[in-house]
Amino acid sequence: MAIIEIERLAKSYRVYQKKEGLLASVGGLFRRQHREVQAVRDIDLHVEAGEFVAFLGPNGAGKTTTLKLLSGVITPTRGMARVMGHVPWERSNAYRRRFALVMGQKNQLWWDLPAQESFRLHQQIYGIEAAEFERVRDELTSLLDVRSLLGQPVRELSLGERMKMELIAALLHSPEVLFLDEPTIGLDVIAQHNIQTFLRHYQETRGITILLTSHYMKDVAALCRRVVIIARGRIVYDGSLSGIIDQFSGHKVVTLVFPTEVVPTGLERFGEVISHQAPRVKLKVDRNGIGELLSAILAEHTIEDVSVEDPPLEEVIAEVFSSIAKEPAPV
Amino acid sequence: MNSELPTRYEIRTERASARSAPSRYGAVFLMFARNSLVRDMTFRANFIIEVISALSWMSMYLGFYILIFEYTPSIGAGTGWGKYQFFAFLATTLFVNSIVEAFFMPNTEELSELIRSGGLDFALLKPIDTQFLVSLQRVDWSSLANFLFAACLLGYSLLKIGHVPGWPQLLLYPLYVGCGVGMLYSLMITLAATSIWLGRNQTLYDFWFYITNFSRYPREIYSGTYGTPLNIAFTYILPVLLVVNVPAWLMVRPLNAEEWSLAVYALVATAACLALSRWVFGRALLSYRSASS
Repeated sequence: MAIIEIERLAKSYRVYQKKEGLLASVGGLFRRQHREVQAVRDIDLHVEAGEFVAFLGPNGAGKTTTLKLLSGVITPTRGMARVMGHVPWERSNAYRRRFALVMGQKNQLWWDLPAQESFRLHQQIYGIEAAEFERVRDELTSLLDVRSLLGQPVRELSLGERMKMELIAALLHSPEVLFLDEPTIGLDVIAQHNIQTFLRHYQETRGITILLTSHYMKDVAALCRRVVIIARGRIVYDGSLSGIIDQFSGHKVVTLVFPTEVVPTGLERFGEVISHQAPRVKLKVDRNGIGELLSAILAEHTIEDVSVEDPPLEEVIAEVFSSIAKEPAPV
Repeated sequence: MNSELPTRYEIRTERASARSAPSRYGAVFLMFARNSLVRDMTFRANFIIEVISALSWMSMYLGFYILIFEYTPSIGAGTGWGKYQFFAFLATTLFVNSIVEAFFMPNTEELSELIRSGGLDFALLKPIDTQFLVSLQRVDWSSLANFLFAACLLGYSLLKIGHVPGWPQLLLYPLYVGCGVGMLYSLMITLAATSIWLGRNQTLYDFWFYITNFSRYPREIYSGTYGTPLNIAFTYILPVLLVVNVPAWLMVRPLNAEEWSLAVYALVATAACLALSRWVFGRALLSYRSASS
């Protein structure tokens, strides 16, 4: 049974269009022009309990807006969503006890106090029993290796340490659904890796449902089996990570290694030469004609080694985002 | 899986609801107060400067009225506001203001910024009343120095007046100070909540100053051609004149029939202000747009 059900969910904002210059600013006091921004457009989505789903999309695609709608932070313009049977924007305490939202660019811990003081506050707000609170806190601080930092003011922690503390604060009440909005933004590779490892372990052992937005493909590749691409407020893909390449990439990369440093000419007619470092040449070729193409190349040239690969995922996704950006805006 | 076994969620909500709401809210408030104190003590020099600054301003404020009473025996002839009666009035003003400034002012001021920056998101995620959370999460302990100052001033004034309040007065006085705090808090939170619609509202402190300016003087001075309309407006429409006047009357003299009726009205007005502000806050939250991250 779906733990998250979204049907024709839409959110639009009325945004003031300020014109340039002083006169226009004064004029804006009396008469203003607004435009309607469609942040989320009639999306449908079902997520099963225990899934780890990534939301991908360019900036302004509607990923964070969707997470905020599902958290009940904002109310939709139309449509329906239910998370664990609750309508999020009714903001019932019963629902708010069962989920958590972590935002990589915002912080909820008291800045001047050690994180342990904020954790105690969470204990009271969520009504967590003292023994359970201590057990969960100790478990999380051990897993994230921050036990020695509990007494240090938050403002003196590094970005990575702060994000770990934010995660602990969000998980103290053992939520069943976790929304993560770019949890690794700005972190170095080690901190990113630590957070990925923790999230994978936590999700596997607890079986909770996680929705993650991230611009880092490594996060997505390491954690999520299912990927939802959202662009201009619409879901344009929902499936596996590898399926993105099958659906959106029309080419493969063929690497040819020649026996001598002298690379034959005329390879352009087999495909686009994307790199040429003798004796190695990389060709971008149409994915439907790989067999014929390789036969033709091998018939004409002596090849020492050959490999056929999918293009890098980041490249395919960047192409998808870029092609969506070029399309005329939907009405 | 045995369907008769309670789920993890059911066990947790049972535990959470096992503790009564007032006790949980009380525990959360104590944690807010504790954390604020811990933070204030971290910056102790700043805390001490704030206390000294608040007490100095109060001393100058009191000194100004001592000077005025060098030239007149009372504020208005026949009003009953002699020097020490007025000092009791001042003490009541200080009680109300110090409570508002300690518990509500820092939070309502911060609310506008939380709305503009999107920081309100986190308050909306917590399984606790959002208005409670945003109204009380910071306590400005240094403002309570004025509370102690007010207690001393009230005691001294009553001693000078030679008036010993009876039990009913001693019980009603904190109730009406609470009503005054409730009315001013309602105005504040209503004004702060409008930031959700306006995007930015920086007039909170100015508005607070203008309004408390009116409540800071005895109601009797608002008479005559210009005073009477103000008197009516600030008693019945925006009842700030009841904030200090009613508890101050109770402490320094027996109330006449009109004052008793205003005392009853103050209770109704407080309830109405709190209910209205709660409604405005709730409506405003429905329009909350957050901020892009």
